[in-house]
Amino acid sequence: MKMEIEVLFWTLLLLPAAGGAVSASLGNRRLMLGVLIASVAAWSAAVAAACARVGELGSVEAASSWLRLDALSAWHLAVMALICLLSTCYARVYFGEEMDRGGFPARQARQFCLLWGGTLSAMTLVLVSNNLGIMWVGVESTTLLTAFLICLHLSKPSIEATWKYILICSVGVGFAFMGTLLMAVSAKGTALSPEEALLWTRLWEGAAKLDPVWAKAGFIFLAVGYGTKAGLAPMHNWLPDAHSQAPAPVSAIFSGFMLNAALYCVMRHVPVLEAVPGCEGFATGLLRGFGILSILVAAVFIVFQHDLKRLLAYHSVEHMGIIALGLGLGGLGTFAALFHTVNHSVCKTLSFFAAGRLGQMYGTHDMAGMRGAMKVSPLWGAGIFGSILALIGVAPFALFMSEFLLLKAAIDSGSAVSAVLFLAGGAVVFMAALGHAIPLAWGGGEQRAGRRAGVLEAVLVVLPMAILLGLGIWMPDMLEAAISQAAGVVGGVRAFGLAGAQGGAR
Amino acid sequence: MAAWIEILMILLILLDMVLPGLSRLSACVRAAALQGVLLGVLTLLANFDALTPRVAVLAGLSMAVKGFLFPVLLERAMKGAGVRKEVEPFVGYVTSIAACVAMLAVSLLLGQRLPLPDGGQGMPLAVPAAIMTMLTGLFIVVSRRKAVSQVVGYLTFENGIYAFGVVAVGEVNALVELGVLLDIFVAVFVMGIAIYQINREFDHIDADHLSMLRG
Repeated sequence: MKMEIEVLFWTLLLLPAAGGAVSASLGNRRLMLGVLIASVAAWSAAVAAACARVGELGSVEAASSWLRLDALSAWHLAVMALICLLSTCYARVYFGEEMDRGGFPARQARQFCLLWGGTLSAMTLVLVSNNLGIMWVGVESTTLLTAFLICLHLSKPSIEATWKYILICSVGVGFAFMGTLLMAVSAKGTALSPEEALLWTRLWEGAAKLDPVWAKAGFIFLAVGYGTKAGLAPMHNWLPDAHSQAPAPVSAIFSGFMLNAALYCVMRHVPVLEAVPGCEGFATGLLRGFGILSILVAAVFIVFQHDLKRLLAYHSVEHMGIIALGLGLGGLGTFAALFHTVNHSVCKTLSFFAAGRLGQMYGTHDMAGMRGAMKVSPLWGAGIFGSILALIGVAPFALFMSEFLLLKAAIDSGSAVSAVLFLAGGAVVFMAALGHAIPLAWGGGEQRAGRRAGVLEAVLVVLPMAILLGLGIWMPDMLEAAISQAAGVVGGVRAFGLAGAQGGAR
Repeated sequence: MAAWIEILMILLILLDMVLPGLSRLSACVRAAALQGVLLGVLTLLANFDALTPRVAVLAGLSMAVKGFLFPVLLERAMKGAGVRKEVEPFVGYVTSIAACVAMLAVSLLLGQRLPLPDGGQGMPLAVPAAIMTMLTGLFIVVSRRKAVSQVVGYLTFENGIYAFGVVAVGEVNALVELGVLLDIFVAVFVMGIAIYQINREFDHIDADHLSMLRG
């Protein structure tokens, strides 16, 4: 049993990198991407097994508690597996098109496979490490591994985006390491040794004795540091550049999961801070502030966007803000934030898929040149329009549900200011994005004939759409339980389930 | 040992004051490298009473990477990119020195406000020196035009964090330290390659000309 779990952990960590290395060593480019898909699928199966174990046992540990999965990390891991599997399949479609046009040389294919596999391993490391130092190493590794995915197609703008990304994120994530050290210092007066103070479980158990001043200082550094990587305003400057310049499959995992992985690191520290005497409400207050600021800043920039991928990037800033706001509200808000995580990730992946394919068809990402997408490609036109509708919170989609829950949490907890600002930001985004999306889908102008979409492409549109619609209408009990447990890790005893929201506190 | 550590801290602060005033790129790179070596010595001194082979090896490794490997990597990147030798800052040298003095005041103030939980073991300069080094690094990142200078700023920033870790936290796990060192090493390596590519595409490495992406 114990042995089995150790093997499971190491499989999770090493399989993607190994898959990437194996596929990079092959000669045929289509075969490379095929092997990469197979390895990510196998890894997803391992994730499913690990999540099942967590569901059974509550939490599992390995490598003398350096590696650990509990409800919160298992939830993020499950979301990650879904996003990465979809994105890897999409990479086959996207780069397949480039190959048909004589692009995507073998050198690029090798670079892509190696870095893609490495990135997945690094993101897994972030989620499974119980040691906060190693978690930091994982986050910084994702920055370094993804840097050259942004400029996979070398050009001036892509190199500029890469440089901003490396520099801003490395310095930003440096702040997070300082925060980790400050948290360790706050444990100096307690029985914890510096080594133990880096283990999340130990820090959390001993939180009642931490020094509040140092813990607060530490959390500020952590929120700013990991917040930079998560794209929270005002540290979001790198994000629109990187998302717009990277090839679409890369943008999809950036937006779909890399941001969430960084926000997960902030989430990890919330329960610790809440348990320190004298720090109650400090971490959540800070997150509310970052959340609202991100929503408002993104709303302003969304109005003036003309590049489709930049528009989607600012949507990411907005939605990371929404998740941070939910965490800041606590209770039902935490539940809503974690539910929003999967909704946003699925929706944003779909929208970047569509933006990427339409970009290939039009030869530009400038929305002035991308009109009437519904005629050029009914499948991807519907994909982009549907996903933008979902992103701005139109009713039957799951994002509406999670945003509605969040609003309820804000009103229930009496934080009217948050509710009003959230609604104001949401309203601006709603109108602005709709104004961009309608001409994009039905606008006139010169029409080009698109190619017929293949079966895989149809699946890549229909499946995320079905998830978004399905979760908007009906939430399975199993999913609700999983999210409630995850929210319980963040919110401690104050966590609610959906039933709790409907029928009073559980 | 505390007295020796204080002397090291003063040296660290002096280097921070010197760095923004240096006009030649390679001098900046060397100053940051010297800081890295000082930090290695600091690790040895801070653990002098209980010097284990593990600490010695880690300190040696960090000195080798920061004092030797980074300057070589950066010199090569500069040579490959055919960089002009001068720093060409946005903020003039005199203003930079003034900024340094202001940063020193802020660091001393912060150090006073944040006493270490165990009393700091008679090292009142430890926390201010670490904060000062971090601030200097950040200042160089935002006030310098050349990509190489920005890397030097990043290294100085990391040096500050490292100094804080050594004096305030003490021994963390070797695996964590190795991981962090590896990450910083790869970061500099990756930045070196990026500089090479910036130079190839743009014919210069002035990061302020990287301004196509806005809004």
